[in-house]
Formats: sequence, structure tokens, C-alpha cells
Amino acid sequence: MFDQFFYQDKGLFLQSLHPVAALSYAGVLMVLALLFTNPLYLLGLLLVIILAVAAVDGLAAWETYLKISLGMMLLVIIINPLVVHAGETIIWWGPRLPVFGRLTVSLEAICYGAAMSVRLLAIISIFCLYNLIVHPDKVLSLLARFASRSALVLSLATRMFPAMIRQMENIREVQVVRGVDFHAGTLKERLPKYAALMNILLLSSLEDSLEIAEAMQARAFGSGRRSCYRRDTWRPRDSLCLGGSLLALAVAVYGQAKGCSTFSFYPELDYLIKGPMTVIVLIIIILALSVPVVLSWGWQRCPYFKAKI
Amino acid sequence: MAFWRKMLFPFALVFILGLLLASIKINALLLGQGWGLLAPVIIIMALVLLYWGFEQGRVSSREVAVIAMLGTIAAVGRVPFAALPNIQPATFMVIISGFVFGPRAGFMAGSTAALVSNFFLGQGPWTPWQMFAWGLAGTSAGVMGIIFPRAGKKVMTVFSFLWGYLFGCIMNLWTWTGFVHPLNWQSFVATYAASFWFDTFHATGNAAFYLLFGPSFVKILQRFRRKLEVTLLPVIEGDKNAAL
Repeated sequence: MFDQFFYQDKGLFLQSLHPVAALSYAGVLMVLALLFTNPLYLLGLLLVIILAVAAVDGLAAWETYLKISLGMMLLVIIINPLVVHAGETIIWWGPRLPVFGRLTVSLEAICYGAAMSVRLLAIISIFCLYNLIVHPDKVLSLLARFASRSALVLSLATRMFPAMIRQMENIREVQVVRGVDFHAGTLKERLPKYAALMNILLLSSLEDSLEIAEAMQARAFGSGRRSCYRRDTWRPRDSLCLGGSLLALAVAVYGQAKGCSTFSFYPELDYLIKGPMTVIVLIIIILALSVPVVLSWGWQRCPYFKAKI
Repeated sequence: MAFWRKMLFPFALVFILGLLLASIKINALLLGQGWGLLAPVIIIMALVLLYWGFEQGRVSSREVAVIAMLGTIAAVGRVPFAALPNIQPATFMVIISGFVFGPRAGFMAGSTAALVSNFFLGQGPWTPWQMFAWGLAGTSAGVMGIIFPRAGKKVMTVFSFLWGYLFGCIMNLWTWTGFVHPLNWQSFVATYAASFWFDTFHATGNAAFYLLFGPSFVKILQRFRRKLEVTLLPVIEGDKNAAL
């Protein structure tokens, strides 16, 4: 089950991006999701993210994320109206409670909760997209240039994780062969059996780690300055995607300063569209952010285009 | 360069304080939304600083390998046992690693466990907060180990129990700052109440693990800590000739 990363290489366009371009695309999406308060902008962002997820063939994976987020979204929608008393349009007067005072549910608070749950879904979908397009090894090798030692710890642990799960299975099988029945008995009787398993796992894996250390020592770890090499190439597609992300960020900052992408919920709901600028800024942001999606579409359809970028 | 290395920590602290002060102004600019953005920025900066501290310190290859292995064991602890559902010894593993190997190793084991297990389980906005929470659990256990090296089973069981709630508290900060408005203590209590039972399970699980496995695991880890220390003996001229 854990033999593979969440990421799976399918040779798709978005997976072929340089890690810097892919990371900055996900990063810009993240910042925008946290910045926007206007529900229209949040919905637009969500639309782009879902299109990008669809471009990497990830809608099935996204459904799992949707299920995780639904519970949290519900929580956000319930908590907000119950504790917020700032809204003017009260639609329900509740009983008095010791900590919260009188319960009131206002229309504004429900709208706020709904907008925040869209934000939550957008953020979780961004991570779904990130998991689908960036190979962990690429990020680690990028990190190794700045923080070699931490990157080494992380990549060692990443490599050991599936191996250790396999090792745990092995120890379990050996114990079963020796006559230990892990399924029999009450919880109290089963715990010592698991304690023995964990003890063996701890001992043998720590012993292994000393062997790894000796292998590192033999390969001159820590004896001088480290060298590193780059395997990823920067192609026109990376410049285009990075340019799109930066343009979206710049326009979003402008929109935020002008108040296009902000929306005040309290005490009364604001107008969703405050003027033509709101729509223009939104369209520019969505177009700039969909550059990778459009490129991905062209990459699949047109061999000439594929060769050029 | 050496100057910057020395000054990075104070600068970062000033920057975080500046962000906190600016939040009063920024909040007005973002209509009270600033915290959703500010809180992750502060958490990530704290993580970067802590990792940077690890980069700067003197660490032997044995320490690197053992820290990676402890992180992996804690990460594997997130995968629930098939026969014992809902019991995850990750926090317990991080706490005893920190207790035996010190604050730095505790932090690295905890944050590595969170990041690496999420490579397989899926990264999310929760990743930095989990890294921070588990890292802090390891660090605080390391500090416990320094101040009370003789802290016995009882003290550490209570300590692990409390970390169940503290962990939930840190993770609640994420939901609270990101998606609840306004940020006052009533809304915090409501957010906390929603997760109270999960935290109680977590805390009870931690305490049970320490009660049952704590002493034997600490003994194993202490044996390996002694093995970590390698002393290189200088070569003496006379000995060299004798060897030849």
C-alpha cells in the first residue's frame, strides 16, 4: 500500500515542468486562496484548480480529497454562524448558553461560513494538485542545494519508510510462524504481542541505521564541501507557466489594493460585483492561472507545439 | 558571512514580531483576513529557522542516520495497526526520541515524521502545522530530558498525556486562524470543543503507550545513544612503527 509515493509518474505535461515552475504555480495558487475574500474570486480559483487537476488525470484522487474536506467544510459552516454575532440579518434566535451568550444565526455568518468552506476546499485541492504534479525527489534535490543535511535526513527517511513497513510485515510473519497469534485474545492480551513486535523493529532498524552511517562515512560524508548537480532542464514551458503565475500574483495584489477581490460580510453583505474592474481583474487572473492548463491541452493535441515548448 | 549566520536568528525573531505588530494594520487592509495568511507564514519561518539550526550544528554521520531512522519509525507509527484501529504511536515515538537524544534530534525526528509520512499519505495545508506540532513535542521532551534526566515513568506518562491535548490545540489553531471569523475566545472554545474527543483519544493513547512500552523503549534508545559517541584516538609515532 505504501510502496509508492502519492505522486505517480504518468508522463503528463504538468508533471514535466521544472520543479521551480511547478512549486511557484502551486505557491501562487495558495497565496491567492488565502488572500481572496470575494466568493466569486474564490470560486474562479477553485475552477482553475479543478481544471488543472483534470489535466493531470487526477479527478479520482481529488474525490478522496473532497471527501476529507466535506467534514471540515461542514464544521466551518456550523461553527461560524453559532459564534459570530456580527451579522445584522438574524434568521434564527436560539436559547441562551453559558459560554456563548444567546445563540443567534445570521444570514451573513452563514454566507461567511460558505465562502470559507469554498476557500478550504480550494486550499485542499491545491495540495491535491501539488501531490499529483511534483515528484518528492525533485523537491528534495532542490532542497539539497540549500540545506544538504536536512535534505539527506528527509531522503533517508523517505527511502526507509516503505522498507520499514515491509520489515514490520516480515517480523510479524516470523512471529506468526513461531506461534504468536495476533488476532486472539482481548486487547490486554494482544498488546504485549505488539510490544514485542515494536521492540524488535526498533532494535533492528536502529542497528541498520548505524550500518547506514558507516556506509556514509566510507563515502566521505562530511569530509568537505558538497558538490551537487542539476538534472532538470528549464524549458520554454517553464518560463510561460512561471510568467503566468507571476502575472496572476501581480494583478491579484493590484485587485486587492483596489478592493476588487475583497468582500465584507459584516455587518451586512457587500455587493459581489462592485464595478467593471472586479470582472476584468477576475478574468485576467483566471486566464493567467490557466496558462499551464491551456499548454497541457495543446501539448496533447499538437505534436508541433509539443516539440516547440 | 559569519556575521549573517550569527544575526539570522535575531533578525528572524524581529521579523516575526514585526509581522505580529503589522497584523493590526494588515488586518484592516485584508478585512480581518490577515491571520489566515500570517499564521502559516510565521509557522513556516519558525520551521526554516529550526532546520537552519540543524544545518549549522556539528552533526556526525551516525547522528544523521539515527535521526532519519527515528523519524521513519515515528512516521510508520502513523500507519494504524491493522488489529488495533485508531491507535497511532507517532507522538509517543517522537517524545521518547526527544527525551533520549535531546531537543535537536527530537525536533528533527518529529518534523521528519510528519513531512515524510505525508509524502505517502498526501501533503496538505496541515503539513507545516503537523511538522511544527510534532517537532515541538520532540523538542519539549528533549528539554525535559535535560532538566529532569531522571524523570520516571509516571512523569513522562503525564507529559505524553498532555501532549495529546497540546497537539490538538496547535492543529486547532490552523482551522481557527484560517477559517473562523472573528477570532475571539468563544470561537476558539467552539473549535476546540469540536475536536475534544479526538484529542482525548490521542492523549489516552499516548499515556497508554508510555505506560506499556516507555521504559523498555527508552532503554533501547539509551543503548544506541551510547553507541553514537565515537572517539577517534590519535596515532602515535611509536605505535605506527610497531604496527609495521
